[in-house]
Amino acid sequence: MGAVSLFIPCTVDFMMPEVGEAVVRLLRRLGVEPVYHEEQTCCGQPAMNAGYPAEARKAAKHFIETFGDDEVVVSPSGSCTAMVKYHYPELLRDEPSWHGRAEELSNRIYELSQYLVDVLGVEDVGASFDGTVTYHESCHILRRLGVSRQPKVLIKKVKGTTFIPMDQADACCGFGGEFSFRYAFISEEMVREKVDHYLKSGADLLIISEPGCLLNISGYLSRNNPDKKALHLAEFLAGVQEGGVK
Amino acid sequence: MKVNTRNFVQTAEREMQNQYARAFLALMPPVIAALRVQVMGSFPDPEAAQELGRAIRAEAVARMPDLLEEFERNAVAAGARVLWARDASEANELVLSIARERNVTEVTKGKSMISEETGLNEAFKNNGIEPFETDLGEFIAQQLERPPFHIVGPAINVPVEEICDLFMKKAGMEKATTDPVELGYAARLFLRDKFRRVRMGITGVNVAVAETGAIVNVENEGNIRFNKSSPLTQVSLMSIEKVVPTMNDALHLVRLLCRNCTGQGISAYVSIDRGPKMKEEFDGPEELFIIIVDNGRSRIYEDVKMRQVLRCIRCGACLNLCPIYSKIGGYPYGWAYSGPMGQVLNPALLGVDDTSDLFNACTLCGTCREICPAGVDHPELFLYYRELEAEGKKMSSGRWEARFFKLWGTAAAHTGLWRFFYRLVRPVVARYGKEGKIKAMPGPFEGWFKTRDLPVPARRTFRDRWRKSMSEKNLSRGGME
Amino acid sequence: MEESAREEILARLRKVPKEETPVRPVLPPARELSLDKEGLVSLFTEKLSRETGVVYRAADRDEALDHLTEIARTENLKRVMTSTDDTILSLDLPAWGDRNGVAVSTAADYVDREEYKRAVFDEADAGITGADFAVAETGTLVTAHSERQPRLLSLAPILHIAVVGIDRLVPVYEEALNAFYGDGGRIPAHVTLITGPSMTADIRATSFKGMHGPRRVMVILLG
Repeated sequence: MGAVSLFIPCTVDFMMPEVGEAVVRLLRRLGVEPVYHEEQTCCGQPAMNAGYPAEARKAAKHFIETFGDDEVVVSPSGSCTAMVKYHYPELLRDEPSWHGRAEELSNRIYELSQYLVDVLGVEDVGASFDGTVTYHESCHILRRLGVSRQPKVLIKKVKGTTFIPMDQADACCGFGGEFSFRYAFISEEMVREKVDHYLKSGADLLIISEPGCLLNISGYLSRNNPDKKALHLAEFLAGVQEGGVK
Repeated sequence: MKVNTRNFVQTAEREMQNQYARAFLALMPPVIAALRVQVMGSFPDPEAAQELGRAIRAEAVARMPDLLEEFERNAVAAGARVLWARDASEANELVLSIARERNVTEVTKGKSMISEETGLNEAFKNNGIEPFETDLGEFIAQQLERPPFHIVGPAINVPVEEICDLFMKKAGMEKATTDPVELGYAARLFLRDKFRRVRMGITGVNVAVAETGAIVNVENEGNIRFNKSSPLTQVSLMSIEKVVPTMNDALHLVRLLCRNCTGQGISAYVSIDRGPKMKEEFDGPEELFIIIVDNGRSRIYEDVKMRQVLRCIRCGACLNLCPIYSKIGGYPYGWAYSGPMGQVLNPALLGVDDTSDLFNACTLCGTCREICPAGVDHPELFLYYRELEAEGKKMSSGRWEARFFKLWGTAAAHTGLWRFFYRLVRPVVARYGKEGKIKAMPGPFEGWFKTRDLPVPARRTFRDRWRKSMSEKNLSRGGME
Repeated sequence: MEESAREEILARLRKVPKEETPVRPVLPPARELSLDKEGLVSLFTEKLSRETGVVYRAADRDEALDHLTEIARTENLKRVMTSTDDTILSLDLPAWGDRNGVAVSTAADYVDREEYKRAVFDEADAGITGADFAVAETGTLVTAHSERQPRLLSLAPILHIAVVGIDRLVPVYEEALNAFYGDGGRIPAHVTLITGPSMTADIRATSFKGMHGPRRVMVILLG
C-alpha cells in the first residue's frame, strides 16, 4: 500500500482537531499509515470565494509544493478536494509549469469516503454502532465530486447500524463560508430546515462528511437540540467502536 | 424597470416574514421540480438531452455574430423588418416610433423579458400610449407595479384578496370573488376586449432560428398567439443571444425549455413566425418588426469569462431548486430576473457595483449549475463577479478586505506565519468561549451566533496533536518512516 | 440610426476571439419513433387526454360527422366557424350545419377583417379546423396557417374542434416541421403547435383551462 498524505482543512485543524485524529485512527486501523506534512496551510478557498484568486493562487502554489510528490492525497473535506481538483488547474492556467503540476495533483486527490471505497476498496471498516443513522449530502461532495454512494455504503456496513434516509438530504445546509454570517438570516433558516429533516427522520445520529456543514449543523444542534448529535463520517467510522461519541 | 438590487437584504428580510409567500414557496418549487424530473424521463437519456441543450447554447453563443446575420437575412427575405437597438432607450424609441407612426394609443403585450429590462411599459406610458400586459401573471404584476416574483409565475405569490381588489378597480370586475378561476375569467373578459380591438401587439422571442429567419414563442395562455393574430402590426423584441442555428435546434430547446420551466412536455402553444402574414391570409400581422436588442450584451460578449451568461434560456429551473430563492422569493433580486438566473444576469447587465448581494448571497451549492439545460456555470460566474468586485475594493472603501486577503495569501504560503497568526488570533476568539462553546461574539461573525454555537478554537490544533501522537508512536514502535 | 447600431453591435461581437463550437452529443432515438400506427394513436390520445383534450376516432367521413353532430348537440353549438383545408372541405360542413341547425361560416364569408374578427371573437361557439399534423410525442396539433387555416379559429372561440387524417399522425415534432421548413414549397408565415386548451396557473398556482383561448379542445382522428 502506497503512502497516503493527509490534507487536514483549516476548520478541522483549528476547530475540530478530533475529526483529523479520527481520520488517522481510521486509516491506521485499515492498515494505512498516513503521512502529514506539517508545512500545509490552507487550500485557498476563503480567498477564492471572496474574489481574491491571486491570493488563492499563493495558497495553491504552496499546496502543490507541499503535496506535489505524493502518490495519493486524502482529505476529510469535499470542498477542499474540489478546490484542488477543479480550481487549481484553472487558477494556474497561465503558468505552464504550475499548471501541469496542478493537473497531475488533480488526479491524485480524494475525499475520504471516495478514497476508502473507490481506491482502497474497503466498505466494511470494522466499526460497530448500535442505532439508526442518517446522512447529509454535502453540496461539494455530491454535486462537485459526484460522491454519494460511498459514504452511505460505509455507514451501512457498520455493524448494528440501520441507515435511515432523510428528506431533502441533498439540500444545502446554508453554510457557504462567509454566507453563514454575512447572510445569517437566510443561513439560519436553511440550517433549521436541515435539522428539522434530521429530527423528522428519527435517526439517532446525523453523519456529515464536510467540516463546514458539520460546524454549521452541529452549531445549530448545540444551541437548539443539544441531545442530538452530528458527527463527521471519520469520527463515526473510527470512534464509535472505541467508546462512542466524544 | 426600476433597479432595486441594492435593497436585497432589506427586501429579503421583509419577504421572509411574509407567511403567505413562504407557504407558497415551500410548496410550488418542489412540485415543479418533481414534475420536471418526471417529464425529463420522456427522453431516452435525460442527461444526454440536457448536454445537447448545453452544446446548442454554447454553439449559439460562439457563433453569435454569424447567426445573427444569417437570421436577419432570412427574416428580411420573408418580409420581416429587422431593426437593431444598442440599448434600452434605443429599443424603446424604435417601438414608440412604430406606434406613433400608426397612431396607436393602446398596445397589448405578450410576456417579454427584454421589454422588462428596457422598461418599455414606462416608456409607453410616458408617451401617452397605454400598454396592457396580457399574460395573467404579468398583467397582475404590471397593475400592482411590482417586479416579477418568479419568471414563470410573476404574481403567483399575490394573495387572491389583493387580486380581487385590483380587478374590481382596474379590470372592470363587478362582483368580488377570491376564487382563482373566477378571477382568471374576469381577466379573460377584460383582455379579450383588448385583443379584439388592438392594432399593435408586442411579443418577446424565446428562440430565433438562423436558417429560416423564424421566431419561436412558447406559452400556455394563448395571449402571445392573440398578439400575433389579431393586430395589424406585430413587434417582437429579442435580445441578441436568442439565435440558434437550425429549426431542429430550436425544437430541442423548446423541449428542454418546457420540461425545465414548468415540468410540461410542451406548453399549450408554440407559435413560429417567418415574416408577416401572407397576403391572402385573413388574420395575422400585415407587418412584422423584429427588434434585436443588445442592451449591454456585446460588452458582456467581449469578456470571455462572463460570456457564458448569454447561454441562459430563461427557463427558471434554477429558481425552483435554489435553496435561497425558496426562502426569499423573487423580489429581493430587485430587477427583471430573479433567483440564480437573476444572480448571473443582473450583475452582468447592471454591473457588479449595484448588485453585490446578488452574487454574494450564495453558498455555491451548485444546484443551479447541475440543473441548467443551457450550460451556465452559475457558481463560476459568482466567483468571477466577486473578483471584479474585489478589484474595485482595492481602490475604495473595502480596502481593509483587500489588505486582509493580501496578508492571508502571504500567510497561506508561509507555514510559520500561518501558525503564528493562529496563535495570535486564537486567544482573542477563545475568550468568548465557555465550556468549550462560543455562544456569542461581536464583530462580523455576530450573525452566526443568533441561532448557532461554535466550538472554541483548539488550544492544541490537529498539527500539535499529530506531533505528539507521532512522537509517542516513535517511542513505542521505535520509529516510523 | 438602425444601420449604425447594427454595425456597432456586430463589430463588437466580431472583435473578440472566436470560441470553438463544442461537439454535440448524439441522442438515442426517441422512443416514439419505434411505435406503429396504433401505438401512435394511443400515445397521442393519452398525452392529449392528460391536458383534458378529448380524442374521437372516426373510420370515415360519416362517422366524423356523427361525432360532430353529437358534440354540437351536447355543447349546444349554434354557430361555428371552420377552416377550408381539404379535410374540412371533404366533410361538407355547410350541409351538415343545415341538417343540424348549426350556422356554419368561414373567414371568407365576411366583408372585411373587422367583421371576421367580430364573428370569431364574439359569435362563434366553436372553431372547427383541420391540422397538418398530429404529433404523438405530446398530443400536439401542428398547423401551418394560411388563408385556408386562419389563426384565430383555433384561438378565439371557447371550443376548438380539430379533424385530422390519421395518416397525418407522426411520432415527433421534427417530422411535422421539416415538412414546412425543409426544401422546396412555400414556407408558411405562421405555424402553431397546439397541445390541449389555453391554460394558466398564474393565480396561486391554481391551474385552469380557457385563460384566453379555448377552454376545451377536441380532436377527431379520421381514417
